[in-house]
Amino acid sequence: MLRLLSIYSGILPIASFFLFLSRNKKNGLWVILFYVAASFLTDFCFELFNPPNNLSFFIFSLFTILEYSFFSVFIYINFKKKIFKQIILITSFFFFAFCAISYFSAKGNFFDSLPASIESIFIIIFCIIYYYEQLNDPEVSFIYSSKKFWIVTAFLIYLSGTLFLFIYTFGLSKKEQSFYWPINMVFNTIKNLIITLAFSLPISDHQPFIKEDIFGKPPLPHYKP
Amino acid sequence: MILLQVNSAAHQFPLVLYFGTIGMLVLTIGLIVFIIFHQRKVIRYQMQLQHMEQEQQKMLLNASIRLQEEERQRIAADLHDDAGPLLATARLYLNENLVNLDKTTQLQSIYNAKQIIDDTIQLIRNISHSLMPPTLKNFGLESAVNDLFQKISGSGSMNASCRFHDYRERLHPDQELIIFRVIQELVNNILKHSNASFIHLTQNLSGNKLYIRLHHDGRGITQADFDKLNKSNVGLGLKNIQSRLKLLHGRIYFEKDISQTYYKVTIEIPRTEEEQIVQPIS
Repeated sequence: MLRLLSIYSGILPIASFFLFLSRNKKNGLWVILFYVAASFLTDFCFELFNPPNNLSFFIFSLFTILEYSFFSVFIYINFKKKIFKQIILITSFFFFAFCAISYFSAKGNFFDSLPASIESIFIIIFCIIYYYEQLNDPEVSFIYSSKKFWIVTAFLIYLSGTLFLFIYTFGLSKKEQSFYWPINMVFNTIKNLIITLAFSLPISDHQPFIKEDIFGKPPLPHYKP
Repeated sequence: MILLQVNSAAHQFPLVLYFGTIGMLVLTIGLIVFIIFHQRKVIRYQMQLQHMEQEQQKMLLNASIRLQEEERQRIAADLHDDAGPLLATARLYLNENLVNLDKTTQLQSIYNAKQIIDDTIQLIRNISHSLMPPTLKNFGLESAVNDLFQKISGSGSMNASCRFHDYRERLHPDQELIIFRVIQELVNNILKHSNASFIHLTQNLSGNKLYIRLHHDGRGITQADFDKLNKSNVGLGLKNIQSRLKLLHGRIYFEKDISQTYYKVTIEIPRTEEEQIVQPIS
């Protein structure tokens, strides 16, 4: 029941995205759509085919990289400060290198626990940086009326909730891991619901009440518009 | 379902995972709640600041309008009380000319009417000069201030002197007029309220900024007094100074000298070639 809820909750954000398509064309939200679609397909394939250990490990590793990449691209588009964008680029380089080493050195694992944990830590850090930037941005009026805020929050809740699970499942068998996996399902469902909410929110960009240029140039000496 | 699974294998379920997950979740939710509340607090604070600034602007605008009205009333009173009777008297003399056909009386009344018209011309010139000093227009701020200080000294009530150290390039006429009005207002205040025996003005240039400093030995105000008066409903002249300086992006600072004997007022005005100036008030 919980497994089905977790898998099929992935359809909600996709449906919400297309239902409110006109609201979701900006701020790199299409990256999140791809991510949700990839997440749904991965879960669906696991449910349908129940792949063997080595294939599972490959799919999980690929999904970890995809998840990190999609979120990094999204947050890279939405960061305003150059330094934060640079942090993402440098971190990504090390993360991909680490994933490659981890993939080739892993033996007979079902789940890529270590890269997933590192990915969670990096994304949690990116989320905190994002909040920091938003708090210091005088242009941001109400942070919680923004789609970006809720998407970042969805990732933060999901990854902080599953971080200990990912760390703890290192070296466990498939049977043992499946015992704890409901935690992931719960947080995955929460994440999908929050992303659905984010996609359905109206655009929060501030629109000025009156266009200044309708008044024209005032008849003042030395006036420069 | 999770709870059932957890209960059935409670002995295997690691506490670290259990508490770690809950701990992380609590931290995350705490962080999000903190961010939302912090931002609301900051927005509320910014709105308060904005409101206060609007109030200040409103007061300055009111002060400017009131001052403008007072100036108009003064001019109206000058014209009504001085120019009006003078012209009426001149008319009477000229009327007498029509009635009285005696040549000597006629000449006398024409002469009287001419004298009165001359006085009226002088009076109107004085009013006009008080609106826009011709020295300022023709010879610049330095000459206008010198002229003003010479007149004060000439009255014998106060020793007034001024010195311009570096004023080779004249400012824009609009800027000069605003600065002159500010100096006039400050000097008027000193004459009216300070009971000072001397007043000295110094001008200097430092970097891209023009500085004007007034020293006097009477009763004065400090910056704290100035800020207080600016926020209150009194101190119309000071508000007017503030609003004029705002047009030039200038600042003013009131303080007591280190010797505690003199009060000084310093005006700082940025010198920019193409300064954006709004038409001066009055």
